[in-house]
Amino acid sequence: MSGFYRFDTLALHAGQTVDPEFGARAAPIYQTTSYVFPDTDTASSIFNLERGGHAYSRITNPTVGVLEQRIAALEGGSAAVCTSSGMAATFCAITAILGQGDHIVASSQMYGGNISLMKNTLPRFGITATFVDPTDLDGLQKAIGENTKLIYGELIGNPGLDIMDLEAVAEIADASRVPFMVDATFNTPYLCRCLDYGANITIHSVTKWMGGHGAAIGGAIVDGGNFDWGRDGRFPTITEPYAPFQGINFWEEFGPSAFATRIRAEAMRDFGASMAPMNAFLLLQGLETLSLRMDRHLDNTRAMLDYLSGHPQVKWVNHPDLPEHRSHELAKKYLPKGAGSIVSFGIEGGRDAGRAFIENLELASHLANVGDAKTLIIHPATTTHSRIDAEALVAAGITEDMLRLSVGLEDVDDLKADFEQGFRAAKKVGG
Amino acid sequence: MYVEVGGKKVFAATGGKPFDSKKPVVLFLHGSGFDHTIWGLHSRFFAFRQYSVLVPDLPGHTNSEGPPLGSIEDMADWLEAVTQAVDAKDISVVAHSQGCLVTLEFVSRHPARVKSASFVASGLATPINPALIEAAEKDPESAIAMMLSWGFGPAGHLHQGPIPGNSMLAGGRKVMRRNVPNELAADLKACNAYKNGKAAAAAIRCPVQVVLAGKDRMAPRKAGMELVAHLNEPELHVVEESGHIIPQEAPNRLRRLLRDFIFRHNPAR
Repeated sequence: MSGFYRFDTLALHAGQTVDPEFGARAAPIYQTTSYVFPDTDTASSIFNLERGGHAYSRITNPTVGVLEQRIAALEGGSAAVCTSSGMAATFCAITAILGQGDHIVASSQMYGGNISLMKNTLPRFGITATFVDPTDLDGLQKAIGENTKLIYGELIGNPGLDIMDLEAVAEIADASRVPFMVDATFNTPYLCRCLDYGANITIHSVTKWMGGHGAAIGGAIVDGGNFDWGRDGRFPTITEPYAPFQGINFWEEFGPSAFATRIRAEAMRDFGASMAPMNAFLLLQGLETLSLRMDRHLDNTRAMLDYLSGHPQVKWVNHPDLPEHRSHELAKKYLPKGAGSIVSFGIEGGRDAGRAFIENLELASHLANVGDAKTLIIHPATTTHSRIDAEALVAAGITEDMLRLSVGLEDVDDLKADFEQGFRAAKKVGG
Repeated sequence: MYVEVGGKKVFAATGGKPFDSKKPVVLFLHGSGFDHTIWGLHSRFFAFRQYSVLVPDLPGHTNSEGPPLGSIEDMADWLEAVTQAVDAKDISVVAHSQGCLVTLEFVSRHPARVKSASFVASGLATPINPALIEAAEKDPESAIAMMLSWGFGPAGHLHQGPIPGNSMLAGGRKVMRRNVPNELAADLKACNAYKNGKAAAAAIRCPVQVVLAGKDRMAPRKAGMELVAHLNEPELHVVEESGHIIPQEAPNRLRRLLRDFIFRHNPAR
């Protein structure tokens, strides 16, 4: 090999060693809890992290391992750990480095689950968060305190779709000696590799575009290997001896994959948020066609933006690829192929018209997911973001009339016809 | 742990156990642009089997203070000073690539405390393409890319590897980027200038082992066989499926080879 394999090749081949016994071309599903050790020395070596290998599927599994290495390859990260869900990934990543008394500066425009985790759940464990408009760099800088150990955001905010200026935030994070963690679910590494712009860790709900078929739940944490954990002793979970593994020092022994190894050794062992091998297999099938699907998602999104922007019953349309979007220039910089396939729009007639619109769609599914091959639609204020208060709703850019559309892969003319049906129903109730 | 040598701070990993100068020592040396972490799948193994382990970062590499050293001979003298600073005795040296050139000089000039030497992926010399040296000086990122592209074999390029979830290719890139900007060029120039391999190899009297990689494009088998020809009765092994970076690409095979050789020639007490 001269040079390096490119994205599409890695999406098909990375991380998989062809099964030496039967030559299976697809990654086999290793549906097993545990693994027979060839001898006692190998067993003790695996348990003591002296060598790679599998002991118990809560910690590692060969099928999950293929997915992890493939995601690491696509992201340009030194290691990845897959988890049972995207939220499990977020929780495991945060708790690997933060504890009692520590603080997060987080974007106010995030998935409702992320906001709820940081606003309601983590404080019970002594971890607090300050939420800041992701486009307000001064505000972000000012929110950083002595006990801040993490900056957390989403490149494409959910559902407001503001774009976070990765390089600017990374610069602030670096100057503040704080890692920068990005939930990159909406962009996937095909649209933007956040690590290339200075992020240190990325989080994925692999359930979404990476898996792409709405068939399996899963998450991933990617260790960028580019944060100097040893700079000043502020991250003892990475740089100080860890008693359960005979005083191992992850930073000293694992260097660029120290963070991922800590998660493997602690979070997967103690919290057990492991991905099922069958789910890893299903998600691998999706990942193999990520670029093909994303291109089609983007084509359909552009067509739907044209359609919605010209529709008389649509009050407003929001997407970073639209020139009037306040993040349009950042979208061109970080997401040159297109700023994803989530569109939000407001419908004339308010909540009742919105309800009639959603209930009269036949192709677009009304459900709480994004990134499926099929088109999905939801009313965030009453569903995905219903557990956050009114103030946070405003901060997240969510209005009562907002509908969030995840554009799928259907024939776009059929989608438009479906929407016409919805708009007719909306008109009858005053839309 | 950190020690001071020549007024400069030197980092050496110890495999997860405190360094104890009363135990036999396994001393691991990294190659150009890398650091101690390339030996991570080997150092901990020996540290938990009654050896003291020493894996220094060369000056200017990752945790050791710079500037980088300018010649292989200087690196050998520096290594002697490091081993003296920690009072290491009964040393088994294990070296990769550029580290092998340093080991040729170190063992031939300071043989008294060395029990064995293992040379991994090296010849008697390492002539460097001038374009690579120029890239290392002017555009280190492209030099890193060249070295990783040539250095890893098929498994590395497909991000396979023995540690679930880890990409050794991306990890290698992060390690090389962490080093100070001019370190890579200094390493490569030192390798290119080194001409004393034949004499040094012939002067070594301790048991020696050579491990070559079948798919090595940086120290091809032919170059490795030259080293074998000039050493005194070396044990030779070829890991056919690996590229140049054997410590990461074929760690289990290499660990077995090192274990059998070192346990035999420098047994733990």
